Amino acid sequence: MTVSVTPSVEWVSQCYNHGETHEHVSLYLVRDGDDVILVDSGSFYHREAITSAVDDATDGCGPDAIILSHSDYPHAGNVSPLGGDTEDVELVASSGSPEQQGLPDARKCKIGGRLDVTGRTFSFIDPPLADRSHTTWIFDHGDGVLFTADGFGNYHEPGQCRNRSSEFDGMISTEQIYEYHRDNLVWLRYVAPEKVERTLDRIFAEFDVNAIAPVHGNPIDGDDIDVYRDRLYDAMRRIADEYEVD
Amino acid sequence: MNREIVPGINWIYEAGPDRTAKFELAERQPDWYEPGREAYIPQCAYLVEGDDETLLFDTLSPASTDQILETVDDLVGDRGLDYLVVSHPDVPHAGNTHAILEEYPDATLVAPAYGNDHELYHLDDARKVADGDSIDLGGRVVEFHEATFLDAPVSIWMTERETETLFPVDWMGFPHLDEEALLFVDELDGEFDVSRLVEFHGRVLFWYQYVDVAKTTAEIDTLVETFDPEIIAPAHGLVIRENAPEYMELMKDVTRAIDEQGRIGTLG
Ligand SMILES: [Zn+2]
Ligand SMILES: [Zn+2]
Repeated sequence: MTVSVTPSVEWVSQCYNHGETHEHVSLYLVRDGDDVILVDSGSFYHREAITSAVDDATDGCGPDAIILSHSDYPHAGNVSPLGGDTEDVELVASSGSPEQQGLPDARKCKIGGRLDVTGRTFSFIDPPLADRSHTTWIFDHGDGVLFTADGFGNYHEPGQCRNRSSEFDGMISTEQIYEYHRDNLVWLRYVAPEKVERTLDRIFAEFDVNAIAPVHGNPIDGDDIDVYRDRLYDAMRRIADEYEVD
Repeated sequence: MNREIVPGINWIYEAGPDRTAKFELAERQPDWYEPGREAYIPQCAYLVEGDDETLLFDTLSPASTDQILETVDDLVGDRGLDYLVVSHPDVPHAGNTHAILEEYPDATLVAPAYGNDHELYHLDDARKVADGDSIDLGGRVVEFHEATFLDAPVSIWMTERETETLFPVDWMGFPHLDEEALLFVDELDGEFDVSRLVEFHGRVLFWYQYVDVAKTTAEIDTLVETFDPEIIAPAHGLVIRENAPEYMELMKDVTRAIDEQGRIGTLG
């Protein structure tokens, strides 16, 4: 049911159908010994498929912890069905005002800091690419996976739903990366792409990233990261160039 | 807590947590801050009442479900609520949508036409509005506009035509001190310091640190020209009812300041 990203990180792939193209609304599962940590929880729209995939992957035991990138509904839509509101499951989120984000019982992680969750170490990174103010990227120090929430996404064609980047013919296309960011990170129209690029350079210099795990795209293997970043830069430039202020 | 801005437009206010410690205000001493005071970034909703119909713009956060239901009930009474507009499906703005619609099952849910995943927000059955659409409430007419400075793709701004009020949602927010809750900006002591706007945009609109300054400045010029408002009613600040376009002009300084100093920090 899940797709392996690295030895201990699995992808619970879910798609939303836009017609011609699909968009992922996924989550990830991290195995740490006997413990299972979920990164995000997916949308209510895929509730049955997600709870049964997580059930299968955990032999019916459910997760030990859920880490949320942000409270946005397509990411935090299954916290309760996955047990995130019970004593048995540790819920971790980054908000400074969890009551207002509807997550009053979450343990807070500090953006810019790190935290051990069920004994595994995660860093929390201020994201340059996001669609909500209160978002964190999450870096898994175990396998070197960077969970980028709404950044590093792409649309895909039916048939590419469960592909990792290396399984695409010629990697994820610039067009797929461009269309996703154009539609979802609308503010990129005001941005100077080189400034975003500088922040990304800093993040990739600080963290040894073996794979990128976006919620709205296919996982990107380590060998494909440079190509993806080149295409993302072209996409950002195109989005900015296409929007003229009159 | 609420306050009438002009007849027919009410400001509904939620303080949220005191930000003094998280923003390290005592240590940083930004110009707008006074030592020993508490500081808040409010969450605001607005109720517009015409002669015929009523409309609520945003819902406050899930921490204030009882408050929004009681306040709206106090204000609309037997008239009920005819429209609930969600500016964008962000939890602190839209988190009480379900509770409000349960209380007012006949109200029409109104959502931005922009974006492509309404179904994932339970907004697929909402009436979608885009730039140029309007709703005539009788004596008060709200008009919708493509949101300019935003975070979520599913976003909309609003104006009220008769009073020339602009509701720019997440843009033009700013913190205030404890006893300034529900004050109009013209009622504040002393000069309004631009560092208030820098504090907010340097945290909440996380992408402001990356903007092309010339392009953003040109966009602000366009907004001043397009709206030229009498009143500005932000979702995260105090209401401006004097010299409103001058505060929009101040946003150019904010853009330059954040370009120079970078992101101030996160909201949390
Ligand atoms: Zn998302
Ligand atoms: Zn698909």
